[in-house]
Amino acid sequence: MKILIIEDEKELAYAMGAYLADENYLCELAFTLEDARQKLACHTYDCVLLDLMLPDGSGLDLLATMNHQQRLEGVIILSAKNSVEDKVKGLQLGADDYLPKPFHQSELLARIYSVIRRKNFNNLNTVQFEEIEINLLSKNVKVNDQEINLTRKEFDLLVFFISNKNKVISKSALAEYLSGDIADMFDNHDFVYAHIKNLKKKLLEVGGNNYLKTLYGVGYKWEK
Amino acid sequence: MGKMTKLLDKPLKAFTIYAFVILSLSIPAYYWVVETVWQKELDEHNLIIKERIVSQLQNLLLTQAQFDSVTHIWNVLQSGTRIFPENQPFKKSDSTYLVMRKNKHKKHTEIDRFRGLASHIHFKGKRYSLWIETNVEEADEIVYIISVVSLFFFVLLALGFIFLNRTIAQKAWRPFEKTLEQLKSFDLSATETIDFEKTEIQEFEDLHNTLQKMLYAAISAYKQQKTFIENASHELQTPLAILRSKVDLFYQLPELNEAQLQVLEGIEKPLARVSRINKNLLLLAKIENHQFENVEILDVGGMINDILELLQDYAESKNLRIQVRLEARPDIRGNKFLIETLLYNLLTNAIRYTSEEGEIVIFLDSQQLYVQNTGIISLNPAHIFRRFSVSSSEQVSSGLGLAIAKEICHRYNWKMGYAFDMNKHQFKVLF
Repeated sequence: MKILIIEDEKELAYAMGAYLADENYLCELAFTLEDARQKLACHTYDCVLLDLMLPDGSGLDLLATMNHQQRLEGVIILSAKNSVEDKVKGLQLGADDYLPKPFHQSELLARIYSVIRRKNFNNLNTVQFEEIEINLLSKNVKVNDQEINLTRKEFDLLVFFISNKNKVISKSALAEYLSGDIADMFDNHDFVYAHIKNLKKKLLEVGGNNYLKTLYGVGYKWEK
Repeated sequence: MGKMTKLLDKPLKAFTIYAFVILSLSIPAYYWVVETVWQKELDEHNLIIKERIVSQLQNLLLTQAQFDSVTHIWNVLQSGTRIFPENQPFKKSDSTYLVMRKNKHKKHTEIDRFRGLASHIHFKGKRYSLWIETNVEEADEIVYIISVVSLFFFVLLALGFIFLNRTIAQKAWRPFEKTLEQLKSFDLSATETIDFEKTEIQEFEDLHNTLQKMLYAAISAYKQQKTFIENASHELQTPLAILRSKVDLFYQLPELNEAQLQVLEGIEKPLARVSRINKNLLLLAKIENHQFENVEILDVGGMINDILELLQDYAESKNLRIQVRLEARPDIRGNKFLIETLLYNLLTNAIRYTSEEGEIVIFLDSQQLYVQNTGIISLNPAHIFRRFSVSSSEQVSSGLGLAIAKEICHRYNWKMGYAFDMNKHQFKVLF
């Protein structure tokens, strides 16, 4: 999977590149709009991460061009401005998602995962991970062909873990993923543990393997 | 504060009192003048009558008997004058007098006042007394009439004052009233100065110029503060984003031990707090900068339920009882993001500050929304809506939630209030 990161803050671009770089993702970095235009002219990508405020112009202009050229890349806007207008405009211009800064890398990865899936497997919304089969559209989960019943939050957690496999995810990143912006309003994130426990139990009950590793109560890791 | 008087009413009152005093003093003065002139005039009149009688009697050349019968008839017919033989041995000189007497010729018993001249005439060597009396208006009647006239003029004066005052107020003071009106409706956050109307009155023009200068200074200070906050929080966004991404990367380093992971967690929490404070400061600046102008009709009841679903985990982990009373489902006009933020802030606040096993009541009807939660002591209502006032000791709060809620209410002219009653905090929004 090829990803183009258009971000003028080099440190942030490197950090994203480093996080995404595993066997699945090949990242290229562009620090200016011009840079990004050249790269897009020569290559196609699976997903483009687009910062809106770039030194030589607005990312929205690039988005308009890409939309005009009917390019197939999934686009996720990363913006520090966090403005509703930009979000609406970006989505109207064909962006697939909008992620306000600052964000957790795991959240970014989950968004990339879902954007690529939507783009590449048109209407085929199933994800297979070993014995687990997930239908992203109908939100059904089967383990060894046996359907299990997950709550919305358990389902979200499962998808999140699978899109972040082999990554260590902190409990607060999980809390933020589950309850959005308000997570940092609370210092007690124990409910995350409760949801994870239920998810694990439901998977094990139907003979699934335990892929989830707990790291000293601080973080979790979904290992293959 | 005592009873306030309008500036223009002050001289009006003084003028009216002055006019009243002067007119009151004029009543005895007029009385004295009228009385004096009248008596002098009547004395003259009586004297003329006397002289006429004396000269006519001499011309008539009457005998003693004729004279006696004439004077007798005279005394009967002419009640104003009396002639009778003088008995007193001593000679009195002429004198004037005032007498009050019942009018014998009228049926009702009215007392009249007379001005009299007691004089004498000589007939054939004998002295006769001659009394001439002329009716004169009674003193109390004079006072009464003068008082009525004075009162009439006083009323006329007072009405004139009020009328003039009104006219002056409307004309000369109009620019001032207008200025006052404009100042009252001045809203610093609108950052628009006031265009004062040009006036021809020096003092007002001075006032306008001075005010204009002050307003400019206030607005520019306010703008600077806003731009500063917006710029500062903008500038902080990127380093915060980098910091967060680096922490996420750090978690991925192989073979981290428990101590290292716990340090990382310790970094993540304050980082989340700084991010939230920053986000809220930016939001506050944006609301003050009149962004989020898009308005739509919102189903607030539905929004409350959605938010509660998101907050469910936090409420359950504290075993809170949440009672939602949607008495009406009003359609509220507002910006979706702002109203969502308002509800978020009120509800998270309630959940955060209620102790375990506590109770939260959310009430909504067409006039108001309130969120009630159990508590022990009242918060200080003068401080809670200020920025960073409550939560300096709180671990995770941004200290801006209620300030933002209040600012959003301010935007839509809603009233936001806090009350503490029967161990319950209540935050109320009146639409």
